[in-house]
Amino acid sequence: MSNASCENCRESLVLFIDNEIDDSATFNQIAFHLQECEGCREQLETERRALNLIRTLLTRSCCETAPSTLQERIAHQLHEIQLQELAGYTQTEIITQYRRTEITIDGETQIEIETSHEIRRDFPF
Amino acid sequence: MRVDREKESAAERKKRFERDALQYMNQLYAAAMRYTKNPEDAQDLVQDTYAKAYTSFHQFEPGTNLKAWLYRVLTTTFINTYRKDQRRPQTSDSELEDWQIAEASSHTSDQGKSSEDVVLENLPDSDIKNALAEIPEEFRMAVYLADVEGFSYKEIAEIVGVPAGTVMSRLHRGRKQLREKLTDYARERGYVKGGAQ
Repeated sequence: MSNASCENCRESLVLFIDNEIDDSATFNQIAFHLQECEGCREQLETERRALNLIRTLLTRSCCETAPSTLQERIAHQLHEIQLQELAGYTQTEIITQYRRTEITIDGETQIEIETSHEIRRDFPF
Repeated sequence: MRVDREKESAAERKKRFERDALQYMNQLYAAAMRYTKNPEDAQDLVQDTYAKAYTSFHQFEPGTNLKAWLYRVLTTTFINTYRKDQRRPQTSDSELEDWQIAEASSHTSDQGKSSEDVVLENLPDSDIKNALAEIPEEFRMAVYLADVEGFSYKEIAEIVGVPAGTVMSRLHRGRKQLREKLTDYARERGYVKGGAQ
Protein backbone atom coordinates (compact mmCIF):
# COMPACT_ATOMS: atom_id res chain seq x y z
CA MET A 1 0.00 0.00 0.00
CA SER A 2 1.36 3.40 -0.87
CA ASN A 3 1.89 5.85 1.94
CA ALA A 4 0.65 9.43 2.14
CA SER A 5 3.13 12.24 2.76
CA CYS A 6 2.95 14.28 5.96
CA GLU A 7 1.70 17.19 3.87
CA ASN A 8 -1.10 15.15 2.29
CA CYS A 9 -1.99 13.72 5.65
CA ARG A 10 -2.24 17.05 7.45
CA GLU A 11 -4.35 18.56 4.69
CA SER A 12 -6.83 15.72 5.09
CA LEU A 13 -6.89 15.46 8.88
CA VAL A 14 -10.13 17.35 9.40
CA LEU A 15 -11.84 15.42 6.63
CA PHE A 16 -10.51 12.24 8.22
CA ILE A 17 -11.96 13.19 11.62
CA ASP A 18 -15.25 14.27 10.05
CA ASN A 19 -15.39 10.89 8.32
CA GLU A 20 -15.68 12.64 4.96
CA ILE A 21 -13.04 10.81 2.93
CA ASP A 22 -15.17 8.79 0.53
CA ASP A 23 -12.33 7.34 -1.50
CA SER A 24 -11.24 4.20 0.35
CA ALA A 25 -7.75 4.19 -1.20
CA THR A 26 -7.10 7.73 0.10
CA PHE A 27 -8.59 6.83 3.47
CA ASN A 28 -6.31 3.79 3.77
CA GLN A 29 -3.24 5.81 2.78
CA ILE A 30 -3.96 8.36 5.51
CA ALA A 31 -4.72 5.68 8.09
CA PHE A 32 -1.51 3.85 7.18
CA HIS A 33 0.53 7.04 7.39
CA LEU A 34 -0.95 7.83 10.81
CA GLN A 35 0.16 4.45 12.10
CA GLU A 36 3.68 5.17 10.96
CA CYS A 37 4.08 8.86 11.80
CA GLU A 38 4.02 10.08 15.37
CA GLY A 39 4.02 13.77 14.42
CA CYS A 40 0.89 13.43 12.32
CA ARG A 41 -0.74 11.31 15.02
CA GLU A 42 -0.16 14.11 17.51
CA GLN A 43 -1.60 16.60 15.06
CA LEU A 44 -4.62 14.33 14.62
CA GLU A 45 -5.21 14.30 18.37
CA THR A 46 -4.87 18.10 18.57
CA GLU A 47 -7.41 18.56 15.78
CA ARG A 48 -9.76 15.99 17.24
CA ARG A 49 -9.61 17.58 20.68
CA ALA A 50 -10.33 21.02 19.20
CA LEU A 51 -13.32 19.74 17.24
CA ASN A 52 -14.70 17.76 20.16
CA LEU A 53 -14.43 20.84 22.34
CA ILE A 54 -16.38 22.96 19.84
CA ARG A 55 -19.05 20.28 19.54
CA THR A 56 -19.32 19.88 23.30
CA LEU A 57 -19.57 23.61 23.95
CA LEU A 58 -22.13 24.20 21.20
CA THR A 59 -24.30 21.25 22.14
CA ARG A 60 -24.20 22.30 25.78
CA SER A 61 -25.26 25.89 25.13
CA CYS A 62 -27.49 25.77 22.05
CA CYS A 63 -30.35 23.66 23.36
CA GLU A 64 -33.35 25.96 23.79
CA THR A 65 -36.74 24.35 24.24
CA ALA A 66 -39.60 25.54 22.06
CA PRO A 67 -42.03 27.59 24.19
CA SER A 68 -45.37 25.91 24.88
CA THR A 69 -47.11 28.79 23.08
CA LEU A 70 -45.25 27.81 19.89
CA GLN A 71 -46.40 24.21 20.23
CA GLU A 72 -49.97 25.47 20.56
CA ARG A 73 -49.61 27.80 17.59
CA ILE A 74 -48.33 24.97 15.41
CA ALA A 75 -51.04 22.54 16.51
CA HIS A 76 -53.66 25.19 15.74
CA GLN A 77 -52.14 25.97 12.37
CA LEU A 78 -51.99 22.33 11.28
CA HIS A 79 -55.64 22.02 12.21
CA GLU A 80 -56.49 25.13 10.15
CA ILE A 81 -54.57 23.87 7.11
CA GLN A 82 -56.32 20.53 7.34
CA LEU A 83 -59.72 22.21 7.48
CA GLN A 84 -58.83 24.20 4.38
CA GLU A 85 -57.71 21.02 2.63
CA LEU A 86 -60.92 19.25 3.53
CA ALA A 87 -62.86 22.20 2.16
CA GLY A 88 -61.05 21.67 -1.14
CA TYR A 89 -58.80 24.65 -0.78
CA THR A 90 -55.28 24.16 -1.97
CA GLN A 91 -52.46 26.59 -1.56
CA THR A 92 -51.94 28.00 -5.00
CA GLU A 93 -50.71 31.29 -6.18
CA ILE A 94 -52.14 32.85 -9.31
CA ILE A 95 -49.70 34.94 -11.22
CA THR A 96 -51.05 37.19 -13.91
CA GLN A 97 -48.63 38.30 -16.55
CA TYR A 98 -49.20 41.15 -18.96
CA ARG A 99 -47.26 41.70 -22.12
CA ARG A 100 -47.40 45.09 -23.71
CA THR A 101 -46.15 45.59 -27.23
CA GLU A 102 -45.78 49.06 -28.64
CA ILE A 103 -45.24 49.45 -32.35
CA THR A 104 -44.84 52.83 -33.99
CA ILE A 105 -45.11 53.01 -37.78
CA ASP A 106 -45.16 56.38 -39.54
CA GLY A 107 -46.08 58.24 -36.40
CA GLU A 108 -48.97 55.95 -35.64
CA THR A 109 -48.66 54.02 -32.44
CA GLN A 110 -50.25 50.69 -31.95
CA ILE A 111 -50.40 49.24 -28.49
CA GLU A 112 -51.13 45.61 -27.96
CA ILE A 113 -51.71 44.21 -24.52
CA GLU A 114 -51.68 40.48 -24.02
CA THR A 115 -52.83 38.90 -20.84
CA SER A 116 -51.85 35.43 -19.80
CA HIS A 117 -52.71 33.62 -16.61
CA GLU A 118 -50.43 31.18 -15.02
CA ILE A 119 -51.38 29.11 -12.01
CA ARG A 120 -48.49 27.99 -9.94
CA ARG A 121 -48.19 26.22 -6.62
CA ASP A 122 -46.88 28.44 -3.89
CA PHE A 123 -44.96 25.57 -2.40
CA PRO A 124 -42.81 23.36 -2.86
CA PHE A 125 -39.89 25.66 -2.92
CA MET B 1 -43.75 0.94 7.97
CA ARG B 2 -44.78 1.28 4.36
CA VAL B 3 -46.90 4.28 3.58
CA ASP B 4 -49.05 4.42 0.48
CA ARG B 5 -49.22 8.14 -0.07
CA GLU B 6 -51.74 7.80 -2.88
CA LYS B 7 -54.32 6.14 -0.69
CA GLU B 8 -53.58 8.00 2.51
CA SER B 9 -56.41 10.26 3.72
CA ALA B 10 -55.80 13.82 4.89
CA ALA B 11 -56.48 12.74 8.47
CA GLU B 12 -54.00 9.88 8.22
CA ARG B 13 -51.40 12.16 6.74
CA LYS B 14 -51.87 14.68 9.55
CA LYS B 15 -51.49 11.92 12.10
CA ARG B 16 -48.32 10.67 10.43
CA PHE B 17 -46.93 14.21 10.27
CA GLU B 18 -47.67 14.83 13.94
CA ARG B 19 -46.10 11.53 14.93
CA ASP B 20 -42.95 11.84 12.79
CA ALA B 21 -42.25 15.55 12.32
CA LEU B 22 -43.29 17.32 15.51
CA GLN B 23 -40.64 15.55 17.59
CA TYR B 24 -38.02 17.82 15.99
CA MET B 25 -39.63 21.04 17.22
CA ASN B 26 -37.09 21.79 19.95
CA GLN B 27 -34.17 21.11 17.64
CA LEU B 28 -35.66 23.25 14.88
CA TYR B 29 -36.33 26.01 17.37
CA ALA B 30 -32.73 25.96 18.62
CA ALA B 31 -31.53 26.09 15.00
CA ALA B 32 -33.96 28.93 14.25
CA MET B 33 -32.50 30.83 17.21
CA ARG B 34 -29.08 30.56 15.57
CA TYR B 35 -30.46 31.70 12.22
CA THR B 36 -32.63 34.61 13.36
CA LYS B 37 -30.90 35.47 16.66
CA ASN B 38 -34.13 36.33 18.47
CA PRO B 39 -36.98 34.29 20.02
CA GLU B 40 -39.86 36.06 18.22
CA ASP B 41 -38.48 35.50 14.71
CA ALA B 42 -37.33 32.01 15.66
CA GLN B 43 -40.88 31.08 16.70
CA ASP B 44 -42.36 32.53 13.51
CA LEU B 45 -39.75 30.71 11.44
CA VAL B 46 -40.46 27.35 13.06
CA GLN B 47 -44.21 27.87 12.65
CA ASP B 48 -43.79 28.73 8.96
CA THR B 49 -41.50 25.75 8.54
CA TYR B 50 -44.08 23.33 9.93
CA ALA B 51 -46.84 24.89 7.83
CA LYS B 52 -44.79 24.49 4.65
CA ALA B 53 -43.57 21.03 5.59
CA TYR B 54 -47.13 19.89 6.30
CA THR B 55 -48.46 21.35 3.05
CA SER B 56 -45.84 19.47 1.03
CA PHE B 57 -45.57 16.41 3.25
CA HIS B 58 -47.06 14.27 0.45
CA GLN B 59 -43.82 14.94 -1.46
CA PHE B 60 -41.62 13.63 1.30
CA GLU B 61 -40.41 10.14 0.51
CA PRO B 62 -41.18 8.00 3.59
CA GLY B 63 -38.13 6.16 4.87
CA THR B 64 -35.70 8.90 3.81
CA ASN B 65 -34.18 11.41 6.22
CA LEU B 66 -37.08 13.43 7.62
CA LYS B 67 -34.90 15.48 9.93
CA ALA B 68 -32.71 16.63 7.02
CA TRP B 69 -35.83 17.38 4.97
CA LEU B 70 -37.27 19.55 7.77
CA TYR B 71 -33.95 21.38 8.11
CA ARG B 72 -34.03 22.03 4.39
CA VAL B 73 -37.51 23.56 4.69
CA LEU B 74 -36.36 25.61 7.70
CA THR B 75 -33.22 26.87 5.96
CA THR B 76 -34.95 27.64 2.66
CA THR B 77 -37.75 29.48 4.48
CA PHE B 78 -35.22 31.49 6.43
CA ILE B 79 -33.19 32.41 3.36
CA ASN B 80 -36.25 33.30 1.26
CA THR B 81 -38.35 35.07 3.86
CA TYR B 82 -36.51 36.28 6.89
CA ARG B 83 -33.34 37.36 5.21
CA LYS B 84 -34.87 38.94 2.14
CA ASP B 85 -34.93 42.52 3.32
CA GLN B 86 -31.67 42.60 5.16
CA ARG B 87 -29.58 43.39 2.09
CA ARG B 88 -26.44 42.46 3.86
CA PRO B 89 -23.30 41.71 1.90
CA GLN B 90 -22.93 38.02 1.20
CA THR B 91 -19.74 36.34 2.24
CA SER B 92 -18.12 35.48 -1.00
CA ASP B 93 -16.84 31.95 -0.74
CA SER B 94 -18.08 30.26 -3.86
CA GLU B 95 -15.02 31.02 -5.94
CA LEU B 96 -12.52 29.63 -3.48
CA GLU B 97 -9.45 28.13 -5.01
CA ASP B 98 -8.41 24.62 -4.05
CA TRP B 99 -5.39 25.88 -2.17
CA GLN B 100 -7.61 28.12 -0.06
CA ILE B 101 -9.83 25.19 0.78
CA ALA B 102 -6.77 23.15 1.72
CA GLU B 103 -5.51 26.08 3.76
CA ALA B 104 -8.85 26.34 5.50
CA SER B 105 -8.96 22.65 6.32
CA SER B 106 -5.45 22.41 7.68
CA HIS B 107 -5.70 24.97 10.48
CA THR B 108 -9.07 24.41 12.07
CA SER B 109 -7.74 23.87 15.54
CA ASP B 110 -5.73 27.10 15.64
CA GLN B 111 -2.94 24.88 16.97
CA GLY B 112 -5.32 24.26 19.89
CA LYS B 113 -3.46 24.00 23.13
CA SER B 114 -4.92 21.72 25.73
CA SER B 115 -4.49 24.38 28.44
CA GLU B 116 -6.68 26.66 26.33
CA ASP B 117 -9.33 23.94 26.03
CA VAL B 118 -9.77 23.94 29.78
CA VAL B 119 -10.46 27.66 29.98
CA LEU B 120 -12.83 27.57 27.02
CA GLU B 121 -14.82 24.87 28.79
CA ASN B 122 -15.39 27.30 31.64
CA LEU B 123 -17.00 29.94 29.45
CA PRO B 124 -20.68 30.55 30.24
CA ASP B 125 -23.26 29.41 27.67
CA SER B 126 -24.07 33.04 26.85
CA ASP B 127 -20.50 33.64 25.61
CA ILE B 128 -20.63 30.56 23.43
CA LYS B 129 -23.96 31.59 21.88
CA ASN B 130 -22.66 35.13 21.33
CA ALA B 131 -19.44 33.90 19.74
CA LEU B 132 -21.43 31.72 17.34
CA ALA B 133 -23.80 34.61 16.58
CA GLU B 134 -20.86 36.83 15.68
CA ILE B 135 -19.43 34.69 12.89
CA PRO B 136 -20.85 35.17 9.35
CA GLU B 137 -24.22 33.57 8.74
CA GLU B 138 -23.06 31.05 6.11
CA PHE B 139 -20.30 29.85 8.42
CA ARG B 140 -22.62 29.76 11.41
CA MET B 141 -25.15 27.55 9.59
CA ALA B 142 -22.46 25.13 8.43
CA VAL B 143 -20.92 24.84 11.90
CA TYR B 144 -24.28 24.41 13.58
CA LEU B 145 -25.55 21.81 11.13
CA ALA B 146 -22.32 19.80 11.28
CA ASP B 147 -21.24 20.10 14.88
CA VAL B 148 -24.54 20.23 16.73
CA GLU B 149 -26.86 18.33 14.40
CA GLY B 150 -24.23 15.94 13.06
CA PHE B 151 -25.20 16.27 9.40
CA SER B 152 -22.65 15.15 6.79
CA TYR B 153 -21.17 17.63 4.29
CA LYS B 154 -23.45 16.17 1.61
CA GLU B 155 -26.56 16.56 3.76
CA ILE B 156 -25.61 20.15 4.62
CA ALA B 157 -25.05 20.84 0.92
CA GLU B 158 -28.64 19.73 0.24
CA ILE B 159 -30.06 21.61 3.22
CA VAL B 160 -28.34 24.90 2.38
CA GLY B 161 -28.35 24.49 -1.40
CA VAL B 162 -24.65 24.87 -2.14
CA PRO B 163 -21.96 22.42 -3.38
CA ALA B 164 -20.29 20.15 -0.81
CA GLY B 165 -16.93 21.83 -1.42
CA THR B 166 -18.44 25.14 -0.37
CA VAL B 167 -19.85 23.51 2.76
CA MET B 168 -16.40 22.21 3.59
CA SER B 169 -14.73 25.59 3.30
CA ARG B 170 -17.53 27.36 5.23
CA LEU B 171 -17.39 24.75 7.96
CA HIS B 172 -13.64 24.83 8.36
CA ARG B 173 -13.41 28.60 8.32
CA GLY B 174 -16.41 28.87 10.63
CA ARG B 175 -14.88 26.52 13.19
CA LYS B 176 -11.63 28.45 13.09
CA GLN B 177 -13.35 31.81 13.54
CA LEU B 178 -15.52 30.43 16.32
CA ARG B 179 -12.48 29.17 18.16
CA GLU B 180 -10.84 32.59 17.81
CA LYS B 181 -13.96 34.32 19.14
CA LEU B 182 -14.13 31.93 22.09
CA THR B 183 -10.50 32.64 22.88
CA ASP B 184 -11.26 36.38 22.74
CA TYR B 185 -14.10 35.91 25.24
CA ALA B 186 -11.84 33.90 27.51
CA ARG B 187 -9.25 36.65 27.30
CA GLU B 188 -11.83 39.33 28.15
CA ARG B 189 -12.80 37.36 31.21
CA GLY B 190 -9.18 37.10 32.23
CA TYR B 191 -9.08 33.33 31.71
CA VAL B 192 -6.26 33.67 29.19
CA LYS B 193 -3.21 35.82 29.64
CA GLY B 194 -1.99 38.13 26.91
CA GLY B 195 -3.53 40.89 24.85
CA ALA B 196 -5.31 40.73 21.53
CA GLN B 197 -3.36 39.03 18.80
